[in-house]
Amino acid sequence: MKMKPSRFFLILSLFISLWPSLSHSATLKFVDEVGRKVAVPFPPKKIVSLAPNITEVLFRLGLDREIVGVSIHCNFPEKARRKIQVGSYINLDFEKITFLKPDLVIATGTGNTRNMVERLEKLGFPTYVIFPKNFDGILQSIDHLGRVVNREKEAEAIIQEMKRRRQRVIERTLGLPRPKVFLQIGEFPIVTVGKGSFGDNLIDLAGGENIARNEKKMYPRLGKEEILKRSPEVILISSMNPKGDYQRLLQEWSRWKMIPAVRDGRIHMIDSDLIDRPSPRIIDGLEKIAKVLHPEEFKK
Amino acid sequence: MKILTWKKVIIVSTLLSSLLILVILFSVTVGSVKVRPSRSITILLQSILGLKGGGTETEQAIILSLRFPRALLAGLVGAGLSVSGAIFQALLKNPLADPYILGVSSGAAVGAIVAILMGLSTLSLGLPLASFMGALLTILAVFYFGRQEGKIHPNTLLLAGVIIGSFLSALIMFFISVSQKEELHTIIFWLMGDFSFSNYQTIRIIFPYILLSFLFLYSRARQLNLILSGEENALQLGVNVENLRLISYLSASLLTAASVSVCGLIGFVGLIVPHSVRLIFGPDHRLLIPCSALVGASFLIASDTFARTLLAPIELPVGVITAAFGGPFFIYLLKTRKVVKTL
Repeated sequence: MKMKPSRFFLILSLFISLWPSLSHSATLKFVDEVGRKVAVPFPPKKIVSLAPNITEVLFRLGLDREIVGVSIHCNFPEKARRKIQVGSYINLDFEKITFLKPDLVIATGTGNTRNMVERLEKLGFPTYVIFPKNFDGILQSIDHLGRVVNREKEAEAIIQEMKRRRQRVIERTLGLPRPKVFLQIGEFPIVTVGKGSFGDNLIDLAGGENIARNEKKMYPRLGKEEILKRSPEVILISSMNPKGDYQRLLQEWSRWKMIPAVRDGRIHMIDSDLIDRPSPRIIDGLEKIAKVLHPEEFKK
Repeated sequence: MKILTWKKVIIVSTLLSSLLILVILFSVTVGSVKVRPSRSITILLQSILGLKGGGTETEQAIILSLRFPRALLAGLVGAGLSVSGAIFQALLKNPLADPYILGVSSGAAVGAIVAILMGLSTLSLGLPLASFMGALLTILAVFYFGRQEGKIHPNTLLLAGVIIGSFLSALIMFFISVSQKEELHTIIFWLMGDFSFSNYQTIRIIFPYILLSFLFLYSRARQLNLILSGEENALQLGVNVENLRLISYLSASLLTAASVSVCGLIGFVGLIVPHSVRLIFGPDHRLLIPCSALVGASFLIASDTFARTLLAPIELPVGVITAAFGGPFFIYLLKTRKVVKTL
């Protein structure tokens, strides 16, 4: 029997309108790390990441095609640079996001703004917010993200590896003298890491003593006098500014030979992506710091 | 009305100079690290007299490489901004005038921001140099647009300065909006004004500018007095008004440019100090100029000292202190002193 054209088109249009909900087997409800209830089409097939640490986690979990949009700061892995960019931490191109029509947008409390997340929700894009505050928090975020994007096994593997490597660092530095460390993350003004920051957490785990660990602010500004007084034995300089002049900084520090770290030549540069970004590579940052704080131990 | 004598000028200057020296000594003995005052002063004096020794290496570093250059630079900038403010107030016949009113500071800011965005190290000389360039270009632009029939006219100058300043402010906003997180912090920090990176090299560079401008302006003190009584009067009394306006404008702008390019925008000093000095010592520029310089220097050194010690180890921006202390003090002066009709 030949179908009437109008009937054919009716069935076709019905099918087309139902297709989006047919291709997703479910919508799962999650509670994100800031307590928001998020209904995610599961498994999400089009994901937008709003921060570089999120992008790194997603790629490590084995996703690639599913990632349809990233932030302008997302520089790792290499593949991330070729994705469509949807904005910065605080400035989103909502038009682009609307064009991409993601199933899921992932934001981080350590960078993106609440305002941005609310707008995304209003536009109808499920947004999951992570908020890692220290090393353990990062492990938790990887676990949560693994569940949300349907890669729980991969997440578990990453977490186990990170835990194992962290344990190695703790064991090898146990009992070793804890050198006083100054981690510089700003040149002008001089900013360091205080209680509650990732840098402080890492220095502590790596068997060092952050000279600013009792400062209540997360990123306190210490004057040079204060740094002189606290005489750090190791100075770590985080390469925050990609255009920064490391040689200049070294020159500047070399004027203060009464600081043990300068006198002994223990000034080291560390890639800020490894120590200030709550991603799987934070374990690389931890290992690097440990090597620098205890060179004798890690030479073996 | 008492006539100003040179004797009075010398006495007052000596008194204020002594105050300045006391403030410098105070600044050198106070800081987040506890160094015995006697030790601090000994280290300072020994260094000035070329003698060696005294104190540990750390203490010497703190006194001679941190506190003393900081006091010197703050003193220079305080003097520069105060004299500049006094001159602009006379030049524009406007009590609200301050060193920044003609846009020079905005030009300096644009220069600094461009340098920061280009990745120039904030520790190199490139930054203050770029800032100074920005200021110079602004001075030329305002001078070019502020002339009417080939002459400098106060109101036109003011308009040109304010408009160019607004345009530069828009540029600043633009740069801020396109800058990354790390650069943003540096830019805002520079804009707030800071002395924590004072060193002798910077001082050596700006000192000639400040000194020469000051001498130029002081040599014209009498004429500046006359110009306040009206252009006609001044002309009849032999003042080359046009020449005077030109020199004043350039020298005062240079003072501002030199000051801002090394420490950012510090507000209130250029406005409050000249007025306070006028209220206490009178409007005669032969006394006003040196007193503004000395009082301005003391005020800024004291403010900077408080800024770095009030909430130690956190350092406050010095502009917070100049506004917080300068404002109320000025109001007190206004209330208790008869405001002399000067402008």
